[in-house]
Amino acid sequence: MRRILMSLAALVALAFATAQDDPLKVAFIYVGPVGDYGFSYAHDLGRQATQEHFGDAIETVYVEDVPEPEVEAFIDQLVADGADVIFGTSFGYGDGILAAAQRYPDVIFGWGTGISRAPNVLTYMADFYQVYYLNGLIAAALSESGDLGYVAAFPIAEVKRHINGFTLGAREVNPDAEVAVRWLYNWFDPAGATEASEALMANGADVLAFTEDTPTVIQVAADRGYPGFSHYASMVEFAPDHVASGQLVHWDTIYIDILEKVLDGTYTTTNLEDVDYFWLLEQGAVELGSEPGVPVAEPFVDDLREVVIDHPEFGEIDVYELVLERRDQMAQGRDVFEPFMGPLEDRNGNLVYEDGYMPTLEDLLSMEFAVPGVVGPWDNEPQ
Amino acid sequence: MNGLRIERRGAPSAALVWGVSLGAVAVAMLGTGLLFAAFGVAPLEAARVIVERTILDARGASEVVRRAIPLMLAGVGLTLAFRARFWNIGAEGQLLIGAVAAAGVALFVDLPGVLTIPAMFVVGFLAAAAWGLGPALLKVRLGVNEIITTLMLNYVAIYLVRWLVNGPWKGSSLSGFAYSDRFDAAAILPTIGTTRLHWPTLVLAVLAAVAVAWLLARTRFGFEVRMMGESPEAARYAGVDFFRTTLILVLVSAGAAGLAGVGEVAGIHHRLVDPGSLSIGYGYTAIIVALLARRNALAALVTALFLGWVAASGDVMQVALRLPSQITGVVQGLVLLCIIAAEPILEYRLVRAPRRAATPPDAAGPEAT
Repeated sequence: MRRILMSLAALVALAFATAQDDPLKVAFIYVGPVGDYGFSYAHDLGRQATQEHFGDAIETVYVEDVPEPEVEAFIDQLVADGADVIFGTSFGYGDGILAAAQRYPDVIFGWGTGISRAPNVLTYMADFYQVYYLNGLIAAALSESGDLGYVAAFPIAEVKRHINGFTLGAREVNPDAEVAVRWLYNWFDPAGATEASEALMANGADVLAFTEDTPTVIQVAADRGYPGFSHYASMVEFAPDHVASGQLVHWDTIYIDILEKVLDGTYTTTNLEDVDYFWLLEQGAVELGSEPGVPVAEPFVDDLREVVIDHPEFGEIDVYELVLERRDQMAQGRDVFEPFMGPLEDRNGNLVYEDGYMPTLEDLLSMEFAVPGVVGPWDNEPQ
Repeated sequence: MNGLRIERRGAPSAALVWGVSLGAVAVAMLGTGLLFAAFGVAPLEAARVIVERTILDARGASEVVRRAIPLMLAGVGLTLAFRARFWNIGAEGQLLIGAVAAAGVALFVDLPGVLTIPAMFVVGFLAAAAWGLGPALLKVRLGVNEIITTLMLNYVAIYLVRWLVNGPWKGSSLSGFAYSDRFDAAAILPTIGTTRLHWPTLVLAVLAAVAVAWLLARTRFGFEVRMMGESPEAARYAGVDFFRTTLILVLVSAGAAGLAGVGEVAGIHHRLVDPGSLSIGYGYTAIIVALLARRNALAALVTALFLGWVAASGDVMQVALRLPSQITGVVQGLVLLCIIAAEPILEYRLVRAPRRAATPPDAAGPEAT
């Protein structure tokens, strides 16, 4: 009997010892396949960079292609597998994450693009609106017609923010520029994106931007020799000479920050109620570029340098300089430069932000209006 | 000189049906094992982990049953339709319409709390039954192929749901994402403990299976349905009212799928969601459930559990065994392929045939059904 007890005690001690050395187990749940070249691919690049950053201190795993209503079942499995931190990357995982978080109070959850929190659930988002504004500057300078096209997934606040930012940028370079929008009502729809791109170009657009999860728009635009923009990760390989710039994400900056704070005990399972990451250029969560480190692709730099405008803030300036100036301003902080700074009117002539008004995070997250220069249908538009 | 000859069997015996079905599943499991081995996962160890997490674990088991619930309801309905050789491929659409109707009640109809859930089930049943009415009428009045019409209506239902969640029913609290608002507590089904097992729908599914089995075995209607399926000419000669019988059986079949949809929105989603999330192809998997159950309503409960287990095992394969997500689909396909491939064994047999003698086809085995 004593022997059994002793070996039991030894086992318990062993369990404790290994528990001490166990790396923090971090799980990622993706809504698409990691090979989608879009949202999930970008998250997985972030996961890999995070793993590399922490080395043996953490162990990351991922599950892909998880349907939104099934996320709870996957969380069950991941917790059974010993996950300490679980990141669910899709808005539609919210109900499942919040329900599971109650059931597993000892696990820390991150809800990507989420809108509500709990003691053990934080939310995080890397937002592109500033980068779209920069792309707008570039697009207007590259366009001969002044007609730009935009293929958009859903008329949600995030995408509206992107389109508005893009349009504000375009009009800063060319006050007559117009951005025609086509909605896909889908995140992943290559056929629909092809059709939308063709229609936009048939109506005169000669530069195309997009918010959806495929490189389709770039490819279709390139067939006509028109420039496009990378989304999430480098899409240069899909149209080597036609990707002018783009919006790139570095989810790892957010993941690393969160996990550092989990490891040093700042974040626990009881104090995340108010932890919401909405990271921008300033925090390095997003980047302007056709590929990392290349803000404007080489062949297009000269095109931008040739377009010199008379700018109210910078005087005579070429657009390449303007793009870099604006990027560096925003990288210093929203208070240095904010594209949506008041006064701002919507396209129906309503004053949405008073002169000198700095839109809050709430304002940005609930943006429903369209700025002047946006052309096309717009759901839930304030009249 | 003796040769081998393939000939039609009579009705296969129950033992043969079981033997062949289980054999097919066994072959599929063997194939899955080889697949696992190819990915460097020890098959027996994998089997142990899967069983441990899906059957021996309470929560895992609850997920198996939870996934089986919509398969049971839709599958039971299909057994009835398939008995009469009405090939209803539209359970997916009927399920979605049931969900839409229930969501409409939950979101927009002000009822006393206790009546909300029953009203959702009744309205969901009726709406889905009405959805099935068109193909039924087209078939009995104009002879239009119901496989085409029911299948096509699935897409209409999918786009209807998509339009609703993107348009008029889009929630106000979701920063523009395409979901309806969340239902009130009165419109949400109770679950067992903290699981997602919405037991009222499960009870309903079992009752539906018993009811359909009873209808088929013990009523004049059931007799007519079987006769229509087994020998339409004889049924016509016997004066079966094809119009009335087809209409009723399609209403029941589609209505049952509608109940599955009600259970999904009221028990799982608690709101109307994108059709791709609302039903992960339950209406199509239910076809396999019904066929695998050999069109027997009570057996459909068992086959639904089996397919629910296959789906739940997919989660384990990804998480615990680190297999790629696509492998779940491959394994499910393998199981279905083996089952369908085994079908001819039940219909035909190999006989050693001397040139002159031909065994009369009806001489085989005792009647099973």
